[in-house]
Amino acid sequence: MSGSQGGGGLMSSAGLVRYFDAEDRNAIRIDPKTVVAFGVLFGVLVQVLNIVSL
Amino acid sequence: MGWKETAEPVLTRMPSVRRPEGHVPFRRKLGWTAGVLVLYFFLTNIQLFGLDAGTQSDLFGRFRSILAGSQGSILQLGIGPIVTASIVLQLLGGADLLGLDTDDPRDQVLYQGLQKLLVVAMICLTGLPMVFAGNFLPADPGVGQALGIGLQGVQSLLFLQIAVGGILILFMDEIVSKWGVGSGVGLFIIAGVSQQLVGGLFAWEGLGGTPGFFPTWFAILTGSQDIASPLTAEGIQALLLGQGQLLALVTTVLIFAIVVYAESVRVEIPLSHARVKGARGRFPVKLIYASVLPMILVRALQANIQFAGRILNSTWNAMPGWLGQYSSGQPVSGLFYYLAPIHTRNDWMWWLAGTSAEPWQIMIRVGLDLTIMVIGGAIFAIFWVETTGMGPESTAQQIQNSGMQIPGFRRNPQVIEKVMERYIPQVTVIGGALVGLLAVGANMLGTIGQVSGTGLLLTVSITYKLYEEIAEEQLMEMHPMMRQMFGSE
Repeated sequence: MSGSQGGGGLMSSAGLVRYFDAEDRNAIRIDPKTVVAFGVLFGVLVQVLNIVSL
Repeated sequence: MGWKETAEPVLTRMPSVRRPEGHVPFRRKLGWTAGVLVLYFFLTNIQLFGLDAGTQSDLFGRFRSILAGSQGSILQLGIGPIVTASIVLQLLGGADLLGLDTDDPRDQVLYQGLQKLLVVAMICLTGLPMVFAGNFLPADPGVGQALGIGLQGVQSLLFLQIAVGGILILFMDEIVSKWGVGSGVGLFIIAGVSQQLVGGLFAWEGLGGTPGFFPTWFAILTGSQDIASPLTAEGIQALLLGQGQLLALVTTVLIFAIVVYAESVRVEIPLSHARVKGARGRFPVKLIYASVLPMILVRALQANIQFAGRILNSTWNAMPGWLGQYSSGQPVSGLFYYLAPIHTRNDWMWWLAGTSAEPWQIMIRVGLDLTIMVIGGAIFAIFWVETTGMGPESTAQQIQNSGMQIPGFRRNPQVIEKVMERYIPQVTVIGGALVGLLAVGANMLGTIGQVSGTGLLLTVSITYKLYEEIAEEQLMEMHPMMRQMFGSE
């Protein structure tokens, strides 16, 4: 019925950044787990560097 | 023609987080949201490598509570770049200078790409001066010597870390938007403000900072804290404005109540189904129709002006006095003083001797802050409604597509649009101006934990939205048929 149809797609208008359903075939897609894993590893790396340099 | 074709190869290749295939169960959504939140708190607690921790000063200053992140951590930039990029996009989109039609899938891809590219540009624009100009993120010369890369090398490392942090925030927001509940930006704002609010209420002396509301009152009531007699003027002042913080408590509770009440104030436009008799609905035009988010854009605009001032001040020795004079990082006179928003009671209550400015200077500053927030709030609210597809034209089309009509009017999108035009623009302007007024008022009277009026407004209204979304999710979990109704599948 109403809402997201017609190839458009309503985004979460609650956020400042808008995400649509449409995606380009060329776009690089990242798995959310990869982002979280990278975040954790990056944090641990910086923390280790901090400890080592003390 | 023009820029779209030129930029297309870059914009369409911007990396993005994969979309879930099919329905994500509510529990997993909550899992992703909580996971991202934990990662956010983890990263705010990791100090930048190579930072000389002794002498730094927060460039975001009092804007920190709405821009999230934390000074000296990997998430130094917080959501600043996202908000600033959003300002640019709102202004360009609101004035229709982009020529992007967000109903066209091709343009949607371009819009998303442009959004990301702008955030990266803003990370550089705010990150580079933070590290290389002024003394906001001083590099540790010891680390440079130990690694043999010199001060410049350490500064580059610092910038690299905050840039990675900024990009991580962007992707974390995308994960929450696509896989979780609500939006990442909203989540990070609530997280920061709630932390301060809880601290302002419950923190005890052992934690090091100023004690919170409840421990102070416990001390006052048990007599372990000396306070002037409440029958004297000083005593009343101490209870209201000083340690007692009664005024801050009243303001905080009042803002909560007003926002929750205003969320329910609405003009309802009756709808009936064109074919199914008896199927009726209502289209609500809420008083805070554009939500409180446009407010953050106005505040961020003021924040960016203040960054510019502080960076100018720290790099330009011959800065003329009319532009701004600074004492310990705060403007005390000149243009940047008048443009600085009122953050606390001490900024304007001259009789409390918290400020050295003359009353007439304070009046000009309060007047300017009010004007910027009320007019800016209204303007950004209008742009917001236009760019997020909540304007008269888009809503009329949505109502038409859903098969509804306004009883007594012809079933035609133009007719619905005419009716919508009677309400939406007016309500948007009034709502935006009201929110601006509330934010300034709350800052002037002070809030618990110094969370700032805008921070409080944002938190209450984002939490309310989140609550509504969770309720909707649960309804869909219970009745899978509802999913089709809400159109999320």
